[in-house]
Amino acid sequence: MTDAAVDLHDVRKTYQMGDQTVHALDGVSLTIPQGSYTAVMGPSGSGKSTLMNVVGCLDTPTEGVVEVDGVDVTTLSDAERTALRGDEIGFVFQTFNLMPQQTARENVELPMTFQGVGRTERRERADDLLERVGLADRLDHKPNELSGGQRQRVAIARALANDPAIILADEPTGNLDSETEAEILELFEELNAAGNTLLVVTHERVVAEHAERIVHLFDGELEDIERIDQRRIAGEGTR
Amino acid sequence: MKLGESVRMSWRAITGHKLRSVLTVLGVVIGVGSVITFVTLGASLQAAIVGDVATSSPEIAVTVGPESQGGPGGGGGGEAVPVFTEHDMAQLREIEHVEAVVPTGQVGIAALGHGNDTVRWPSMTATTRDSFAGDSFQSGGPFEVGANEAVLNPAAATMFAENVSAGEEITVEFAENDTRALVVAGVLNESSGFAAVAASGTPAVYVPTDPFYTTTAESPATGERERAYPQLTIRASSYERVDDVEPLARDYLENESDASQLKPDSYEISLTTNDALVEQIQGILSTFTNFITGVAVISLLVGAIGIANMMLVSVTERTREIGIMKAIGATRRDIVQLFLVESVILGVIGSVIGTLVGLAGGYAAATLIDLPVAFAPEWFAIAVAVGIGVGMLAGIYPAWDAARTDPIDALRHE
Repeated sequence: MTDAAVDLHDVRKTYQMGDQTVHALDGVSLTIPQGSYTAVMGPSGSGKSTLMNVVGCLDTPTEGVVEVDGVDVTTLSDAERTALRGDEIGFVFQTFNLMPQQTARENVELPMTFQGVGRTERRERADDLLERVGLADRLDHKPNELSGGQRQRVAIARALANDPAIILADEPTGNLDSETEAEILELFEELNAAGNTLLVVTHERVVAEHAERIVHLFDGELEDIERIDQRRIAGEGTR
Repeated sequence: MKLGESVRMSWRAITGHKLRSVLTVLGVVIGVGSVITFVTLGASLQAAIVGDVATSSPEIAVTVGPESQGGPGGGGGGEAVPVFTEHDMAQLREIEHVEAVVPTGQVGIAALGHGNDTVRWPSMTATTRDSFAGDSFQSGGPFEVGANEAVLNPAAATMFAENVSAGEEITVEFAENDTRALVVAGVLNESSGFAAVAASGTPAVYVPTDPFYTTTAESPATGERERAYPQLTIRASSYERVDDVEPLARDYLENESDASQLKPDSYEISLTTNDALVEQIQGILSTFTNFITGVAVISLLVGAIGIANMMLVSVTERTREIGIMKAIGATRRDIVQLFLVESVILGVIGSVIGTLVGLAGGYAAATLIDLPVAFAPEWFAIAVAVGIGVGMLAGIYPAWDAARTDPIDALRHE
């Protein structure tokens, strides 16, 4: 399974809510191959976010094995998981989650800063990445000086900073209008074409149909994996 | 993460939240500033008082009084017993570095008069010419021994309807139908005056022991009746010699003197030096300084609580940022480092400003109440160290707390 970016074996996650036990994930097994583009869909409470958190090493499963780039995450300490997260996972959030005090360039540099990358190298790479997402002229702008689509581009550039094994996007277009949504999805397609592995959590089918396949979650169980034969291509798709 | 990066990021956080940073710095400024102000004020006060005492003559006051009550100035009590004989005085003069031995005794009288004005007055102070050594007179000079002369302090010179000056006469009513006229030989200057009654504003009339002092005792050493006094003042040749003279005088007085035999068994002889006085005052002042320091430490504590409070608020405000940082690979150590660096920076800035404010405050306060300004530099270092240390300690808990935050919860935090 060396070609799997992420591998889940019978992952369970239970929460105690008062005297009720909630099965957020109830035996999910899933392989995300390298270079793939996967969408995760499901109604609220189906376990989408939990799956995302477990894959992103933000959360640990109650049971089961999670392998990221061949490393079993569940056996790692908190510090080791943090290191792995910084190195192998790139996050893109619905609310962008940029550091408000820092410029676009500094935001993109940040994951590299935490990984101990030198200043010059960091800056060069941040500039490259921002150019790649079409923000070469916005390097020194702070988040509040950027539009929603531009902020999400900065976030995507930041997610790419440490050349991660997988990019996790949680409702990446949830806060964007349809035109900007198309731009972001186009960017995802470009990244995927360039060999990046993408996992996009969404509740919108039109967004999900840009992926190669859709993983349907329901009540914490993997209901179906749907292959998309007719993928939507950004800019051509209709809503 | 490298320290340089933390400093850069922390500085960005500080300048990005100006009001919060200013309030935090203000807390440190108030803490450090008040410590330095109070300590400077204390040091200035100490310098002023010790300076005053140290300029007076190198004297040892010898008194006798009930045990455990014979403190400094004990001769002033009503129970003064005339035990120090002229033989004792002669023996004390033999001690090396003793310049003079001056007796002091009270002469009971009924009233004093000048011109047509008469003032009921209980006593005059009998002493010798030596007691005026180094004193300055506003008019006249010391009295002659054996003459009907007197020296007045300024308070005594002005207590009659008309002011008294040297050369004039005053009348002394010793008892009913026993009134004598005395020539005023001199009036002392305001600033001068011999140790026991020096600075007091109480009127004092000094007369020569001969012929006015008549209290006698039979000296056990010579077997003769001699004048005996309740109080002596031993003057050493210099201030440094006081410590040499004192033990010798004490040894003589306690073991061989007439006084040791004449005094009641329950009485003890006490020697009080200016040196001891200085030490005593320093003791009082150090208590005072400790008290002031206590107040300052409390204000520093209040400052510290302020800093801790601001840091906690700051962390809560930035829960989301912390979540972001953790999500993109910041370790706990990175987070702790960021917050610690931030609180240290605030602590350093606050301490520097606080030191300047404290110096200005201490200087202003000391000048305002007319004290010579004295600084205690070691306290500046302590105040700055405490200010920065408090900044760090106050930063550690919220930083540690911040680093513990679950990134998922933090990211959900709006």
